Amino acid sequence: MAGLNLNDDETEGPVVDEEPPKVTMAREKLLEEARKAIEASEKGKRGVSLIVIGHVDAGKSTLMGRLLYELGRIDEKRRVANERGSNKVGKGSFSWAWELDGTQEERERGITMDIAQQSLSTPHRQITILDAPGHKDFIPNMISGASQADCALLVVDASTGEFEAGFERGGQTREHLLLVRSLGVSQVVVAVNKLDMVQWEQSRYDEILGQMQPFLLQSGFQQSKTSFVPVGAMSGVNLVNREGPDATALSRWYTGPTLVDLLDVLEPPSRNITAPLRFPISNVFKGQSAAYAVQGRVCGGIVQVGERLRILPGDESALVKYIEHEEENVEWAADGSNVTLYLTGVDPVHLNVGSVLCSPSDLIPLATVFTARVLVFDVSVPVTAGASVELFHQAHDVPASMSKLLATLDRATGAVIRKNPRVLTKGASAEVQITLRSSAYSGPNARPRPIPLETFAANKEMGRVLIRREGETIAAGVVLEIVS
Amino acid sequence: MKLVGKYINKDGSGHVSLRPEDDEDMWHLYNLIQEGDKVRATAIRRVQNVSSTGSTDSHRVRTNLTLEVTRVEFTPAITSSTADTTNAASTTAADVTASIQISGRVTVENPHAKMGAHHTLDIEVNRDVRIEKEQWDSVALNRVEEACVPGRGAEVAAVVCGEGTAAFVLLSEHLTTIRHRLTSSIPRKSSSSTLHEKGLNRYYQQLYAAFLRHIPYGSPTIKVLVFASPGWIRDSVYDYILKESERTGNKALMRAVREKGVRIHVSSPHVHSLVEVLKSPEITAQLKETKFAKEGITLDRFFKMLGSDEMRAWYGPDHVALAIDRGAVGTLLISDQLFRASDPAERKKYVGLVEAVKDKGGEVVIFSSMHESGQQLNQLTGIAAILTFPLDVEVVEQEEREAKEAEEEERRKAEVAGEDS
Repeated sequence: MAGLNLNDDETEGPVVDEEPPKVTMAREKLLEEARKAIEASEKGKRGVSLIVIGHVDAGKSTLMGRLLYELGRIDEKRRVANERGSNKVGKGSFSWAWELDGTQEERERGITMDIAQQSLSTPHRQITILDAPGHKDFIPNMISGASQADCALLVVDASTGEFEAGFERGGQTREHLLLVRSLGVSQVVVAVNKLDMVQWEQSRYDEILGQMQPFLLQSGFQQSKTSFVPVGAMSGVNLVNREGPDATALSRWYTGPTLVDLLDVLEPPSRNITAPLRFPISNVFKGQSAAYAVQGRVCGGIVQVGERLRILPGDESALVKYIEHEEENVEWAADGSNVTLYLTGVDPVHLNVGSVLCSPSDLIPLATVFTARVLVFDVSVPVTAGASVELFHQAHDVPASMSKLLATLDRATGAVIRKNPRVLTKGASAEVQITLRSSAYSGPNARPRPIPLETFAANKEMGRVLIRREGETIAAGVVLEIVS
Repeated sequence: MKLVGKYINKDGSGHVSLRPEDDEDMWHLYNLIQEGDKVRATAIRRVQNVSSTGSTDSHRVRTNLTLEVTRVEFTPAITSSTADTTNAASTTAADVTASIQISGRVTVENPHAKMGAHHTLDIEVNRDVRIEKEQWDSVALNRVEEACVPGRGAEVAAVVCGEGTAAFVLLSEHLTTIRHRLTSSIPRKSSSSTLHEKGLNRYYQQLYAAFLRHIPYGSPTIKVLVFASPGWIRDSVYDYILKESERTGNKALMRAVREKGVRIHVSSPHVHSLVEVLKSPEITAQLKETKFAKEGITLDRFFKMLGSDEMRAWYGPDHVALAIDRGAVGTLLISDQLFRASDPAERKKYVGLVEAVKDKGGEVVIFSSMHESGQQLNQLTGIAAILTFPLDVEVVEQEEREAKEAEEEERRKAEVAGEDS
């Protein structure tokens, strides 16, 4: 057990002596200030979080790496280091992606495996970028990222055959779009990438638009909230501007906005700061000093330094020592911001990915059985009662089963078509009961562990669930009622 | 299991004596013994004596007791788990075996236990158990036969891993035992890539330690060592184990992993994705004959049928019974849980269904509910059927209703006719 020594836990000693940071403001005063700050930002830069999605190898990370460079977020020295490093292992084409694909394995395989978080600013927006993995095995990671996003940037590969591969059944272009839509993202920017591979032909760009537009509409994205832009990520064409020799071919027929122009007009959703605080944890790590850091997004309410937060499920609570937002220390964070909280006074074993932090006076309900209204996707095998599935909720990924099929509904009106259906076929809208499965087959620990969950009516973000089976997303839905 | 003695009358009553030898046999016994049966086994009974002066002394005696069963309970082998910060070495010993407890009242008096006294028997390995039933049905007899085949069954050891999690599972003919569960929190890369790599390394180390403790890789009955995961974790784990075994000079492990190791892609890191493992061509090729592989394949066939032709895949006891009535069932899928029904009439009904299908030349697959496929079948009411020709449930139900109405009509007519005459 030599390796366990690496786990240098220093939580027991020093934490006790430290004086807890004081709660700086009364709640009312804090809300007042937050409201003012948000109003002020309406005029200045407004914060919005953006998830970058698309089929594997569409160039998501490369596009982001290049965009960060163009906007001056990566200095020349970093770029040269990445370029040298990637050339050395014979993967020169991944040099831009290296900025976001930080781990050794991602770099070796040339594939993004987990969400990378970056921030960038455009003239009117402060954007938190979540770069999602495109490979289908890492969709769980992509989901945990998408549940933290307001808008989506879809990257499609325009080169011959590649667009089609991503767009056909089983391709991630399709699945990602459906996933983000079911997680409440309604605005999408489609970046048609790698047009340089087809000599910047306008016909190819139009062909892709022609295929994408009906699908976007059908998936529930309003036409006014979708926009398209041709880009060349590798050479940096049409990201910030269309200058330089590479862009001449595009400039001949394209006069519309650049990618940054489009990002600059993304509409942040309204923030609900008076709701009870919900902070689902998506990452835990050991920060500097004795504090433990948890990353995530505030889903309703407001959190401030010095507050004591309850960790659910469990009986523990922790103290917020400081809050980090976009690499700066802040006094408080409100609904919709992606922040890192540094917690003290808690054993890190109680901090798990998927747990929810909330204020001790207003706890989130815990559920093992609940009913939901779901929309069944394009499934190959129909869904039966008792089907064993994986339930995704925020960063949670737990085994569950569709314990009861209550009714199939009319998609448009919501009227009950049939009670107790035998199976749910593709495209069906239905009310179902979902039960979490225990991890053991029988015996003492046969009871499943509850997860924190809220009805859709109470909190939209905490009330959305996704259901997958054998690597295929089969349904998405909203929680209607928590049974137990 | 060893068959020690068997005496069954023509009317189906009689007794069977068995000697259980491992966890699997305990599961068989659990499925054989029903409420109302008489079970004779050695027991330890605390006997209290009151002396003439009024003082009491108690001592334990080993004696044979016969009980009329009122309750049977099965306790599977215990799963240990390692959370992140606890030491892997400090978890409970893994060699806790499965056991069954049988409660009931004494039916044969002896000097230590009065008639009608309550007792709970702990069935132990290598001690004979005599089961007396008033009715040995075909399902029970088949189970006795199946349980006593010597040298049965290949075993599979599997490690299902995900990022930061691993489950160590042993699969035998009727049992899935989750030996150990490991969770290790790995900071995600968005915090810092060095923290991530450090966490990953710690995870591999814990996994290696747990593998040594919980997977009997050297045992000859283990036919395959499965490493299953989404993504590429299985490759990293496989390489790490080989590297570590080489570094520490553990030749037995190295050989076992090289010879029996199979890496299989599954779509989720949960234990229930073992179903996918059992469906994969690498495994089915090697384990075609084993029961759990067959269960997996049959269930898969059922679901596929449900997708392609809904009219040929039925589930639910009433529907399946109707389909059997019409001689439409090609393959019957039934869970052993249904035969454990405490109501003898209930059990009889299911035994009847099984026999009816067999008589018509259909195939019957009895699923073990200690396997993932059996669990899924249980969720689906425990009984399902693949039909040889399509039948519409609603049409059949309609026919039944009409038949019933016609029957009532007949009867009413007959009554009226009776009154008239």
